[in-house]
Amino acid sequence: MRLGVLFSGGKDSYLAMQMAADNHEISCLLTMDSHNQDSWMFHTPAIKWTNLQAKSLGIPQFIQETEGVQDNELEDLLELIKNAKKAYSVQGIVTGALASTYQSTRIQKICNKLDLWCFNPLWQLSQEKLLEELQTYNITSIITGVAAEPFDESWLGKELDSSTINELLLYSKKYRINPAGEGGEFESLVINAPMFAKKLEIISSEIHYSNFSGRLEIKEAKLE
Amino acid sequence: MNILLISTCKEKLSEYEFVNPIVELIKSFEYDIINYRNLEMSNISLYDKIIICGTSLQDNDYLNYLDNFKKLKDHDKDILGICSGFQIICSMFDEEIIAQQEIGMINVETQIKNPLVSGDFQAYNMHNFSVDEVISFNVLAKSEKTIQMISHKKINIFGVSFHPEVRNQQIVTNFLLI
Repeated sequence: MRLGVLFSGGKDSYLAMQMAADNHEISCLLTMDSHNQDSWMFHTPAIKWTNLQAKSLGIPQFIQETEGVQDNELEDLLELIKNAKKAYSVQGIVTGALASTYQSTRIQKICNKLDLWCFNPLWQLSQEKLLEELQTYNITSIITGVAAEPFDESWLGKELDSSTINELLLYSKKYRINPAGEGGEFESLVINAPMFAKKLEIISSEIHYSNFSGRLEIKEAKLE
Repeated sequence: MNILLISTCKEKLSEYEFVNPIVELIKSFEYDIINYRNLEMSNISLYDKIIICGTSLQDNDYLNYLDNFKKLKDHDKDILGICSGFQIICSMFDEEIIAQQEIGMINVETQIKNPLVSGDFQAYNMHNFSVDEVISFNVLAKSEKTIQMISHKKINIFGVSFHPEVRNQQIVTNFLLI
């Protein structure tokens, strides 16, 4: 089946794509560039660097800008998926949805309306298992945003490796956070993975942080 | 206890979404997973309980294999059908399936006392077909729009139109306790 992937550049959408690629053809990446940092549907601080990831993956990318206003952003998403269907004859959409019925309901409705299959291979996966899968699939990602206690600014830019993952698992017990960030505790950006031809190298970045909330603004990056 | 999970997914990729979450709920027991296309090859007598899992909204291929499922009636096994499994159970007993779409969270009201659920609750729904009325079954729970849970009048066969693995896992574990 030819599939389009709703791709934010983070660990979840990459992992979902990798799992789908086992048996299907990934025809294109579909990225929503939301101007609203508080959007419930689409939010990631490093969205502009997905174009380098797409280049490394060798997969065409569609980017749809959206003001991120509730409901209007769904119209924008529908437009994005419709365009992908037309351009690449995709038969289905892959998402990294894990637990949010708000997100999944809306995407399922759009796919159903456009007569497309909707695949959510991470659906209901536990946070711990998700972190395990990232290691099994050899996916390297960094933290690009934090929004919860106890994350201090040292977490921005940190790689999600086995030691960081252990720390997150400890935090999940002590601070009752979702260790894989499902509750928006942190955002990630994949910098290297099996489907990447080249690693994404961050050349310069700036940290914006205050009171357990912050983001890593990547100023310059390239493919190694 | 030995449980048979029947996948109704045409695409293996859908099984992560519709079968694996059920596995998480029953994994402390012995279990096997079989795809609906290979159901004939399964030795049903080996199992104590059967769960027929759901599948994607676009996936109706299991409807071409309803005869495979009808044979389940020959075995005296407790069965729980989820979403497409609900429709399959209704078809096994010749209930009329109608076009009825529900996608997202819905409010459900329990209608009669039963071993799976009680009271009013919210559930995650995702189906294009359902039933409006049933003859061989009791209606256990309903939403404003349609029937949500049924149980056969004589045997331990249950159907759930929504996805209990998302917000109502207790329904699956209660089924295992019957």
